[in-house]
Amino acid sequence: MELYGKTLTQLKKLIDAKDVKAEEVRDYFLKRIGAYNGKINAYLTVNKEGEARAGGILGGVPLAVKDNFCTKGMRTTASSKVLDSFIPPYESTVTKRLKKANAFILGKTNMDAWAHGSSTETSDYGPTHNPWDLSRSPGGSSGGSSAAVSAYLAPAGIGSETAGSIRQPASWSGVVGLKPTYGRVPRYGVIAMGSSLDCPGPLTLDVEDAALLLSVIAGKDELDATSSPVAPVPYLEEMKKKKAYTIGISEDYFEGLDPDVASALEKSIEVFKKLGFKTKKIKLLSPQYAISVYTIIQRAEVSSNLARYDGIRYGAGRQAFGQEAKRRIMLGAYTLSYGYYDAFYKKAQKVRTLIINDFKRAFEEVDFIIGTPTPITALKLGEFEKYPFFGELMDKFNEPGAMAGIPAISLPVGLDRNGLPIGMQLMGNYFREADILNASYQFEKETDYFGVIKKGIANYKDLS
Amino acid sequence: MSKKALSKEEILHLSHLAKLHLTDEEIEKYRVQLGETIEYVKNLDELDTKDVAPTNSVVDLKNVTYEDGKESTQSLTREEALSNTKKSKDGEFVVERIMQ
Repeated sequence: MELYGKTLTQLKKLIDAKDVKAEEVRDYFLKRIGAYNGKINAYLTVNKEGEARAGGILGGVPLAVKDNFCTKGMRTTASSKVLDSFIPPYESTVTKRLKKANAFILGKTNMDAWAHGSSTETSDYGPTHNPWDLSRSPGGSSGGSSAAVSAYLAPAGIGSETAGSIRQPASWSGVVGLKPTYGRVPRYGVIAMGSSLDCPGPLTLDVEDAALLLSVIAGKDELDATSSPVAPVPYLEEMKKKKAYTIGISEDYFEGLDPDVASALEKSIEVFKKLGFKTKKIKLLSPQYAISVYTIIQRAEVSSNLARYDGIRYGAGRQAFGQEAKRRIMLGAYTLSYGYYDAFYKKAQKVRTLIINDFKRAFEEVDFIIGTPTPITALKLGEFEKYPFFGELMDKFNEPGAMAGIPAISLPVGLDRNGLPIGMQLMGNYFREADILNASYQFEKETDYFGVIKKGIANYKDLS
Repeated sequence: MSKKALSKEEILHLSHLAKLHLTDEEIEKYRVQLGETIEYVKNLDELDTKDVAPTNSVVDLKNVTYEDGKESTQSLTREEALSNTKKSKDGEFVVERIMQ
């Protein structure tokens, strides 16, 4: 049975039809990981002994899970030496739901330590290498998961986003990445970075797989008080209804783009027009402000969330924090401290309100806002370290949506002059994941992502 | 040295608040780097927020509670709770003495 390049949904159907055993699919990916992970460093921990069970919603398919989801009995480090030996005694809600649906967790993927970064270079276990060009970063912080999917070391992955950490690595690795509405997918058991921002979501080979995984992990969780009671919709059904939408174009989201990225976006807009979508010029608040709001609020939440790591109950002591974590904790302590709270933290929270109102106004006129998750394609490893604030600038098109908590998707839309993937993003209104998936599905049917995803897989040949 | 840099005293105060021990080299580096970031985020002052309420959370929820009588499903046994610590004694965590 040919498994190479099959999507999650296709593999599930093969297992359901008993054309292949769940264990065979698991072993197929374990073999690929064994052969290719040494170069890419996508996985930190590989699950070689676990049982793959057929049946259920996911039918025994294997998945890559970012290493900030607590998995009971399986080492979980958040790519920090602080948690080098941490074996969670409990399960995150996301992985619990995936396991209940009979997903097999292939392993835990590399990330920026504590999800602090946009390149996986702040990982204490070495960076992940972009499967398209091993001298480059796959993006981050969910770079291990995006690289695993891109090189077909997993048919799909789970990541998490605080501001760009799903969309940006999806873009640089040439895969599909969905960031749901804040509260759509529970955070319970996810090692916290920015608690008012963190959002788990899927990284996949196509839109259908993203819809399938979202349908498994979305929904209220009584263990996460910030998870939403709004009922999830049947994403897979809604996705396939032919609908026409209006796409908003804001000039500020097209500034400072690499010319290849800009022309790929223009081409994508033409595709949507051909599909019968309307476009409309809109004016949004400059993303420059969201960079600052994000920097202040995220650092404040980091300093609070990382305060629990005292090395007493689990993990190593605070001396084990890396440079980036220390820098963020320090800045958070500054903006929250007496005398600076109003000037920084409270001011940022007020501007956050302006950003939210700005999006709400825009979504009265349009269904989506189009842009790119990142103004340039994958950088060489080592570039980020030169500029301590660089990640924030690189994620400037992701931060406004993240601060507002709205959903968005990143889709591959071509390759640049160096043969590196380019991403396009659609942002939508709160809880409008079904519409985002619908528009993306139409785009996929029309373009097949210009062959990007298939080419990514072809870089790592079949071993069976 | 940038004029925007924080003072050494400020860095030491913050590291005390955050319980981080910094090397002299780190203190010097963070003085400059934190100063630069703080300078950058001051662009928010360009926006008038006089009559704007702060956003604490983007989810529109209030007073999320468990139903009465519902039992918690999330508790650890003593063994599980101690399973990741490096120092335990008689089934309890060992912590540093805080009163001398």
